Amino acid sequence: MTTLPGGLTLAVPSKGRLEEMTRKVFSNSRLTITRPGGARSYIGSIKNQPQVTVRFYPAAEIARELILGGIDIGVTGSDLIHEASETGEENVLFVRGLGFGEADVIVAVPDAWIDVQTMSDLADVASDFRARHGRWLRVATKYVNLTRRHFARHGIAEYRIVESAGATEAAPASGSADLIVDITSTGSTLAANQLRVLEDGLIMKSEANLIVSRTADWTPLRKAQLEALLSIMGGVPPGISTLL
Amino acid sequence: MKTASERYAALARLVEARTVTRATPPLLLPAGPYFDLAGEEFGRNLLLTTTNNGVEYCLRPDFTLPIAQDYIEQGLIGTPQAFTYLGPIFRQDKAVPVEFEQAGLELLGQPEPAAALDQVLTFARWALAIYDITAPNVRLGGVGLFEAFLEAADVPQVWRSRIRHRFGHPESLSRLMDRLANPEARVVGPAPDSRETVVEIVTDSMLAGGLGLIGSRTPEEIADRYLEKQALDAAPIAAETVGLIQEYLAISDTAQIAFERISTLCTASGFDFEQPLVQVRNHAAALQALSPDAELVFDASFSPRLDYYTGIVFEMTGIDGAVLASGGEYDRMLERLGATEPVNATGCALWVDRLEREATQ
Repeated sequence: MTTLPGGLTLAVPSKGRLEEMTRKVFSNSRLTITRPGGARSYIGSIKNQPQVTVRFYPAAEIARELILGGIDIGVTGSDLIHEASETGEENVLFVRGLGFGEADVIVAVPDAWIDVQTMSDLADVASDFRARHGRWLRVATKYVNLTRRHFARHGIAEYRIVESAGATEAAPASGSADLIVDITSTGSTLAANQLRVLEDGLIMKSEANLIVSRTADWTPLRKAQLEALLSIMGGVPPGISTLL
Repeated sequence: MKTASERYAALARLVEARTVTRATPPLLLPAGPYFDLAGEEFGRNLLLTTTNNGVEYCLRPDFTLPIAQDYIEQGLIGTPQAFTYLGPIFRQDKAVPVEFEQAGLELLGQPEPAAALDQVLTFARWALAIYDITAPNVRLGGVGLFEAFLEAADVPQVWRSRIRHRFGHPESLSRLMDRLANPEARVVGPAPDSRETVVEIVTDSMLAGGLGLIGSRTPEEIADRYLEKQALDAAPIAAETVGLIQEYLAISDTAQIAFERISTLCTASGFDFEQPLVQVRNHAAALQALSPDAELVFDASFSPRLDYYTGIVFEMTGIDGAVLASGGEYDRMLERLGATEPVNATGCALWVDRLEREATQ
């Protein structure tokens, strides 16, 4: 999508701890990301790397753009790549984890469900839920794709997803869903809401990753620029562009 | 040599035969009923669109549901009806939208379910013949047969529903069978408490978590299932019975041989299974008579994932293994859609684009 013959677009999360940590990782490699307009600006650069354009995007958008090839390199959570599209992981290359933004995507049920320890128990509950309650078992989540895939893997088809934009952990108590699929880092929010992760309820472990788009238009020049940038960052074996 | 449009016209004539009613449900349908009937797993394949007030619609992903729904809404319950269809359906596969041409037959409320299934098989057979496919690979499965088998093998009722529920999902079923086959892996719970005590504990826990005691799972329901699990762990299925079920599920063979193997297996285990087998045998024979060259296989573990299928199910595949026609008996669907009395239902769907590909190969 880049119109210039060369040049790379790097997407960095636009706010919060993710932005802070990303900029720190880059500056540790002597790649100082500047954001001249401050938090209101969505474009920046890297000092002494004029071929790199930095864009500040929300993390979920970075995942979508990497999959579509609208940006070349990005930092975002691996969970968001898996969630953005069923084929998300085929369209990107995970270069390496960056050691922050760790979180687990998990299935959690009310602690009071003492009969439900595993996904297999959940399958039993789901199978006759509708006969008992006249509606499907409801799962609150913002991870629609991840939930569908995980539940399908465990043979659970009898449920509905209730999309939840925030405060998913409150859904069982508010009555809008029976259980949740959500992200957790310490588990304290779950515990505070009397929710318990199923024994085999870990859908994926996620962390912030340096990710390269496979669907971007990779000319030999741009591949060389990518190799050069990654070698400055370190921790990446050379030749990764041959996988694109 | 026939052309593609001549073949399509012949198929359209079959669909417009005098003895059937051609149904033409709208292209744009409310998505709710599909999610209600088939859940999220099927829902992920729908192409959705949303009105400004948030109501979801989908491009028609199949014909069976709107036809069955219309049958109920028009007050046709109690009357035998034969509906056919031909037209495009829309789904997404790995985030890529796909348009297919589908044809099919749905027989609803027929007085003779066995005859209805033979009619459906005949319809599929004729449709395939239009595309010069005379020797398809046919795979038969018996959902009803497996239910009858579990009953005849004296599998305890609580386990029966758990096993039946996983039928058609090989991975999940084999995990359950492994769990049953390995008693060591079973978690033994604490000594059984009285039901009242468990209900009390669960109620306290629900209140502490701010959960409503009605609307979702109730304390009694959770306590009962908890105690049931303890009882199940205490009284597992006999290892021989688990082995028997596994042997049954592994049977997949030329129809007549498969039936013999099932019969032998049951006799060896000390029960008679001829009665349930007779029907499947008859349908297989009828099908073989229709297409003497077809390769007819009975696969004991074959079932569509959707749990409204009840009796015999089938699929016909072509040279490269692509499904050309599939269907069977789905008596539970109409009740699911709100029919106030049982309505037997049998039908099949044909993948017209694949038939055409087969014809030109």
